[in-house]
Amino acid sequence: MLMASLSPSPPPTSLSALSLKSHPSLRFQSILFPRKLPSLLLSRSADNGAGVVSSAPTVVQEEEKEKKNEEETPSPAVAEVPKAEDEQKSNLAANGAAVKAEAAAVPKFKDTRWVGGTWDLKQFKKNGETDWDAVVDAEVRRRKWLQDNPEASSDDEPVLFDTSIIPWWTWVKRFHLPEAEILNGRAAMVGFFMAYFVDSLTGVGLVDQTGNFFCKTLLFIAVAGVLLIRKNEDIDNLKKILEETTFYDKQWQATWQEDQTSSASKEK
Amino acid sequence: MASLSTTTSTGTGDSIRSFADLRRQTRLLSSRAASNAQLGRRLPGVVRASRSSPRLNGRKLRVAVVGGGPAGGAAAEALAKGGVETILIERKLDNCKPCGGAIPLCMVDEFGLPLDLIDRRVTKMKMISPSNVAVDIGRTLGPHEYIGMVRREVLDAYLRGRAADAGASVINGLFLRLDQPEGPGGSYKIHYNEYSAGGGGAGERRTEEVDAVVGADGANSRVAKSIGAGEYEYAIAFQERVRIPEAKMEYYKERAEMYVGDDVSPDFYGWVFPKCDHVAVGTGTVTHKTDIKKFQAATRLRAKDKIEGGTIIRVEAHPIPEHPRPRRVLGRVALVGDAAGYVTKCSGEGIYFAAKSGRMCAEAIVEGSENGTRMIDESDIRKYLEKFDKMYWPTYKVLDILQKVFYRSNAAREAFVEMCADDYVQKMTFDSYLYKRVVPGNPLDDLKLAVNTIGSLVRANALGREMDKLTL
Repeated sequence: MLMASLSPSPPPTSLSALSLKSHPSLRFQSILFPRKLPSLLLSRSADNGAGVVSSAPTVVQEEEKEKKNEEETPSPAVAEVPKAEDEQKSNLAANGAAVKAEAAAVPKFKDTRWVGGTWDLKQFKKNGETDWDAVVDAEVRRRKWLQDNPEASSDDEPVLFDTSIIPWWTWVKRFHLPEAEILNGRAAMVGFFMAYFVDSLTGVGLVDQTGNFFCKTLLFIAVAGVLLIRKNEDIDNLKKILEETTFYDKQWQATWQEDQTSSASKEK
Repeated sequence: MASLSTTTSTGTGDSIRSFADLRRQTRLLSSRAASNAQLGRRLPGVVRASRSSPRLNGRKLRVAVVGGGPAGGAAAEALAKGGVETILIERKLDNCKPCGGAIPLCMVDEFGLPLDLIDRRVTKMKMISPSNVAVDIGRTLGPHEYIGMVRREVLDAYLRGRAADAGASVINGLFLRLDQPEGPGGSYKIHYNEYSAGGGGAGERRTEEVDAVVGADGANSRVAKSIGAGEYEYAIAFQERVRIPEAKMEYYKERAEMYVGDDVSPDFYGWVFPKCDHVAVGTGTVTHKTDIKKFQAATRLRAKDKIEGGTIIRVEAHPIPEHPRPRRVLGRVALVGDAAGYVTKCSGEGIYFAAKSGRMCAEAIVEGSENGTRMIDESDIRKYLEKFDKMYWPTYKVLDILQKVFYRSNAAREAFVEMCADDYVQKMTFDSYLYKRVVPGNPLDDLKLAVNTIGSLVRANALGREMDKLTL
């Protein structure tokens, strides 16, 4: 996966060519992030308390990048619009913030496109239309980030994003269709060979098979199997789920079960 | 009785029979047990085993209620009101049981609780997902609807007081064990340490002979041990009481919060509940009890901004049963409340069911003994089990399903919180919680709800799978 290749290796000289506005597609993001680290250092973020490393002159830049590389998770992209540079103040702040970042080691989630507790759809435009795939990617990243680094929930900055604003066909195209393709492929392969074998064994042709009850049962089993058992683990999972559905019932009925056995054994 | 033999031969561990089936077996058995009665004269389906039980000569039925919490208090009151001689044994009369302390409206009505018992009325609840999506539920509540937050010491003392007023004798003592009766009509001997007024000392060893025992002594019930009721899985709920500055307390004036997420608990939720003048911040878990401190730290982190500057005034933990014990009745000993394991899944609600089960058990005893004039037997107490199971099984099952579906993973929790934003869901949730009834809504709305639920789950799980592929 491209994101896994996230390594802050690109040379700092490419900094100047960097634009802060993020590219909508996922491909560019993985390359952008390491570049954003130095840009983080150039700009200044308003609230140092968030633990985001604020700006520093280029001298400090290398060291910061060094520190960042050592940390397990790199900082996310810069959030605030860069204010007017104030090198001295930011220098002090950077040192303080760097210390805090080391000490706290829980940087808050920040992203330029995450505005006011939701994704700013205007920033996800591709060819004049919203790039929903990128919205999905961004939300996945946000949730993954928060899963690994839980944050305090704040009433002042509430999270308002609702996944239902993403249109249904995005979900279908991205998640349902590839899976459906695989499953249909499996079903077709199984169907073809089963039809062939049944024909070779019994002489019943394809058209006649579709009218035969036993063959229709086989077809049903094949389809159900393809739908339910997609990975090897699914067989165990299904057994567990089946047991789970009745486990609680069994626990409640335990006191009634023993009523029969105990009364049968001792004469009341 | 051919049917009986077939059922006993199939035995336990078999496929689930419906409750109706099992209860029918019980009826057949109990009618068989009351063998000296004429079956022909009875009304079909109504078994009055007490008709066959001997009349008590010159004395009333004596019942000991062990444990003076909501279950014990309610049981003792109903017994005393029904004319049964009752003793209520409680080991610590001023016990501040660590507890969420939330009671539904129906409890206030059914038990006639005075409104000044309730410290706070929670009308707003905030559910917060793992990615901090926060949803306010409570929009659909009427002006007179709320979740009552009580202090357990206040509630318990009140219920015990009512039991005493009805004629029960409240004893400050620690139940030790009980001896099974010698013969079928014999009495139980209970051993307990009675503490003298003013406390101090180990107490005096005492014994009492009673006809029946109601075990209402909580999750670590000794009565349950005495009858070999079996074990259950339990959750550990860990809670810190935090006194926060007045300005922050304002936020929690009528609001409770629920945090869900793997960081906060793998199978439960973290909470911030307002109490009289402080908040209780806590979490719980069944499967990862050793990590409870970690989960508590995570809960504190999630609520950090809102409880900053607070001081911890108390730390407490208590076990919460996950499901009923395998055996809830043996002979003339019955378990009620937490001792029986009547805590719902998903929400972990126990106070109402404890009090209700205590009352139901007591009422069954009163009825079976015809107001304390006859001896009872196990079948009378089983009637309480039957009634309780039948009345509340749907509630328990639905909450179990909710827990299984929505507490599975972070993705499922996100879907859960998303669903809670829907007005229909809120209305159904509160209706079922506050009044313990499910009013069937418009089938079209139900269908929409089903579609939305599936949609939320599908979306959240799709995102979840993408998250797994991602390594930040």
